[in-house]
Amino acid sequence: MTAYIVRRLLQGFVVLLMISAVTFFLINLAPGGPSSAVNFTSTASEREAVLKQYGLDRPVVVRYLDWLGHAARGDLGTSINQGLPVAKLLGQRAGATLELGLTALLLATVGGVVLGILAAAFRNRWPDHVVSALSALGMAIPGFWLGIVVIILFAVRLGWLPTSGVFSVGAQFSIVDRLRHLALPASVLAFTLMPNIVRVTRSALLEVSRSDYVRTAHAKGVRPRAVLLKHTFKNALVPVLAILGLVTTVLFSGSVVIESVFGWAGLGRLAIEAANGRDYPVILGVTLLAGAFVVVVNLVVDLLYAAVDPRIRHG
Amino acid sequence: MRTKSGPRWKSLMLPMLAALAIAGSLSAQAQATTPSGTLTFVTNADPTLNPWTPGAVIESNLINTILFDQLTRYSTTDLTPAPDLATSWEAAPDAMSWIFHLRSGVKWSDGQPFGADDVAFTFNKVILNKDLGANNSSVFSPVDHVEVVDPLTVRFVLKSPFSSLPYYLAYFAGILPAHVLQDAPNPLQVASFNKSNPVVTGPFKVAEFVTGSYVRLEPNPDYWGPQPKVKTIVFKEVSDANTQLAQLLAGSVDMVTVTNPTLLAGVEHNPNLEVIRQSQNIWYWVALNQGDPRFTDVRVRQALLTAIDRKAIIDSVLKGYGTVATGPIAPLQKAFYDANVPSYAYDPAKAKELLAEAGWTPGPNGILQKDGKPLTITMPTGQFGYLVNATLLVQQYWKAIGVDVKVNVMEWNAYIQEVVVKRNYQATLAWWSTPPTPDITPYFSSAAAERGNNIPNYKSPELDALMAQARSATNQQDEIKVVQTIQQNVAQNLPYLFLWYPDIITVLNKRVGGMATINTPTAFQYAADWYVKP
Amino acid sequence: MAEALAAARPRRSRLARRIARHPIGVAAAAVIVLLLAMVSFGPLLYPQSPEAANPALSLADPSAAHWFGTDELGRDVFARILAGGRVSLAVGLMSMLVGLTLGTLVGGLGGYFGGRTEMVLMRLVDVFMAIPAFFLILVIITAFGNQPGTVIVTVGLGFWAQMARVVHAEFSKYRTAEFVEATQALGASHPRTMVRHILPQVVPQAIVLATLGVGWSILSEAALSYLGLGIQPPLASWGSMLQNAQAYLWAKPILAIYPGLFIALTVLAFNTLGNALRDVLDPRD
Repeated sequence: MTAYIVRRLLQGFVVLLMISAVTFFLINLAPGGPSSAVNFTSTASEREAVLKQYGLDRPVVVRYLDWLGHAARGDLGTSINQGLPVAKLLGQRAGATLELGLTALLLATVGGVVLGILAAAFRNRWPDHVVSALSALGMAIPGFWLGIVVIILFAVRLGWLPTSGVFSVGAQFSIVDRLRHLALPASVLAFTLMPNIVRVTRSALLEVSRSDYVRTAHAKGVRPRAVLLKHTFKNALVPVLAILGLVTTVLFSGSVVIESVFGWAGLGRLAIEAANGRDYPVILGVTLLAGAFVVVVNLVVDLLYAAVDPRIRHG
Repeated sequence: MRTKSGPRWKSLMLPMLAALAIAGSLSAQAQATTPSGTLTFVTNADPTLNPWTPGAVIESNLINTILFDQLTRYSTTDLTPAPDLATSWEAAPDAMSWIFHLRSGVKWSDGQPFGADDVAFTFNKVILNKDLGANNSSVFSPVDHVEVVDPLTVRFVLKSPFSSLPYYLAYFAGILPAHVLQDAPNPLQVASFNKSNPVVTGPFKVAEFVTGSYVRLEPNPDYWGPQPKVKTIVFKEVSDANTQLAQLLAGSVDMVTVTNPTLLAGVEHNPNLEVIRQSQNIWYWVALNQGDPRFTDVRVRQALLTAIDRKAIIDSVLKGYGTVATGPIAPLQKAFYDANVPSYAYDPAKAKELLAEAGWTPGPNGILQKDGKPLTITMPTGQFGYLVNATLLVQQYWKAIGVDVKVNVMEWNAYIQEVVVKRNYQATLAWWSTPPTPDITPYFSSAAAERGNNIPNYKSPELDALMAQARSATNQQDEIKVVQTIQQNVAQNLPYLFLWYPDIITVLNKRVGGMATINTPTAFQYAADWYVKP
Repeated sequence: MAEALAAARPRRSRLARRIARHPIGVAAAAVIVLLLAMVSFGPLLYPQSPEAANPALSLADPSAAHWFGTDELGRDVFARILAGGRVSLAVGLMSMLVGLTLGTLVGGLGGYFGGRTEMVLMRLVDVFMAIPAFFLILVIITAFGNQPGTVIVTVGLGFWAQMARVVHAEFSKYRTAEFVEATQALGASHPRTMVRHILPQVVPQAIVLATLGVGWSILSEAALSYLGLGIQPPLASWGSMLQNAQAYLWAKPILAIYPGLFIALTVLAFNTLGNALRDVLDPRD
């Protein structure tokens, strides 16, 4: 077991190394430069002075090795446009993204599993059809567009909820205030994540219900709904867990856009700002953090797998 | 007022002193009350609280204007330089230096005294230090160095005459504290200063800076002027223009500057909001690359401007919020602006005539051609404001007279790389926002071609000489005369095709009081006068 | 020969019966055909140009001349929906082809040859799966600019890895199958074995994934355009129309509604068709 975890972590490390190299060289291919140097009003001498300060007049390979050397010692460098350590920026933004992401994941999982059970219990009857129609919409509607629509509706027209931000600036910390800000972006994100979970839950439940021991339970006269919940559900957890790993990657991608729509000061917005402003160390930092997160989540999911399903052993 | 330039300053100062007197009496009334209320503004990204740090631009300018006093600021009546940290100034008779007398008794927000050393440090060690690449530093290139005459007097020693220095000193030119920054390896990159708590002389200082969210300001008890009447000023980070307006409508933001007039539709009739049209010295232009021999013929430049219906673009893209430009000096510079210059009213037939004179005649497919080569122009544009839309309209107007325009929309940073850094374009549409000074050297001089702000790379020894003459003027009458000749010259020769002066639209919550209305940068130089109506 | 035909007929009719069990899938296919016809022939029939600006007529309401009204430059919105649909659908289909080709190639080679080839190729797939797709797309578009070709390839790169995994699983399943070993024994080359014998087995799954991939690609392009990284003017796509409309949410919210609805409808149709095809072609599920 320990050997398995170590092996997986080592693999993850290699993956991260590759991500860093690919990202570094790609982003340096981009035309332009850090916006602190390359802006419309700066003259050539101003530009050259700033590029030199950041060592950007050196060859790309030298800069990558330099970055790698620092990263190995835990130093992710300093943001070129913001003048703050990258690690600090990531720390500040990761909290907001986690808050949004975990809430959306929780909503999507609870909603998805409940709807999935509902659909399986009423297979091919109207609740099943309603659920599948909802899922189909969730897969088809662009999340950012839904975001714009709910802002127009709930924030602008009805004035019930704030249009953007993580919390009310300058106000005392308050859970209610946080939740009000969280409501729209988390719901929109959850709505786009849910269909996968619904689908997997439903088909897993149906598959298990066809298995022998469930049939036996039926034959013994246990009520069908009770069978579904008691016997089937635990076994259906495995595929649901599997999809959670996948959903996490989707979650990161989705949050990039949703954070832009709702002005959510998270990693997604940081990534876009950094890409637009050619803030090389920040882009690397965000991509690496996201990659590391995915690696870890996948590992945890695989371990949970083994815990839930005794047939799976990692050696 | 001790030199030959005395009369000029006296005449300009009189109305301003009157204005100050009125402001003074108002503040006397309010003085008894303790500061109260909160004003909330928006900024589109994390600010950097040092006006000279490269990259501290639009998101930082207004906050820094409140925090950092300058030697001069704009008068709220006519935008001429008015006292701020300097109380008076005069040019030497030979125009090769300026003396600035500093305000006495000014303290930094950490309690240390302000003085000539701070001014000398800000210029000698920061702005004029080429290795730092400070924002906008190239406009100070005529300054050689700053001498400390005594603790409250500095002398700007010049390399060449620089009559408009006091104007530039009022334009986002905050003075930095020498005692805090002089030991830093790079005074522009001190994170504890730029991103947390800068030491300032302005009416407000930073109380809290939460990156990615907001900056909160509180009154600076050491401020040299009357104490501010507002208790808290908050700058929220809201990047999206729609969201900014939504918050303005919801009352959670007090002021938004609208750059896209179409957005006004939702706020124009709101009873709590006031829409204010203001002027700044901003002019939009089309640059025709002078490295392209087709555009060195002045008739071609005149024809291409005549072919654009600028009025129609103002009416549609700007929703009427703008006026047709005649040159680089906007009408708000009343003393200098000259309206009687060639103006190139929309006339496609005349444009075709001019092009025919220059040898461009319709080819078989309707596209103009000369020596068998079609008049095809590549026109890169960047995603910023309404540049793309305006470019598409110009494309359409030029197409109508037989010019084939290939528009290439680029991401902003990539656009700057192509157009500004490499000058790799044939035509492009953008704008300059400049201090309200009649000095246009940075955008037109031969020295600024290729490497500076002279984007079209236009080189004219005649215009260079005129601009140098304007900088050497020691009285306003002489300066006005030269500046009018300059305006005639550029309107005739069109180094840039002048498009329009946009109105700056500020939407203000009516509860905000005491805010100068002439324009936003100036209003923020007088933040101590603001109050919140009960 | 006659026997083979006789055997094929009932199989085909069984397929037809399975299709008939999916009226919604048929409806989705009809919607797709309709959309394709609309964007192909619509611009020929509808008289307005998508690019001609008319400053005097900006943000006009719908009328007989301008079915969906006009945008901020006075351009006809319906004409732009038609032209934008061409671009969106073309990007969707071509990105799907890119993802499909790359995924099949990598997954196929890895699954067929096994061993070290498989190890290297599938690790590569893992790396791609570990980078959240959008971060990758963001970096690539920033690096190479947003010409239509780059957008298509980049969007395709966003889902090739998933495709590769599926194809890999199928190929490695058939690597040791009897009929494959038999053809190899008869002297068939590797490429021939792969293309002529194994690939057809993967087709049903690939069709399903490809159909779903079109929807995914259209959504990705729209999201990219929303962030200003997608298709650029004067070309329009539904996504770039949405980005444009964002500036007029107050003045004309309806401008944001039209392209959004068309995106949703198109993606819904492709996804529904994909799911129906899964049931029809791949009855194991």
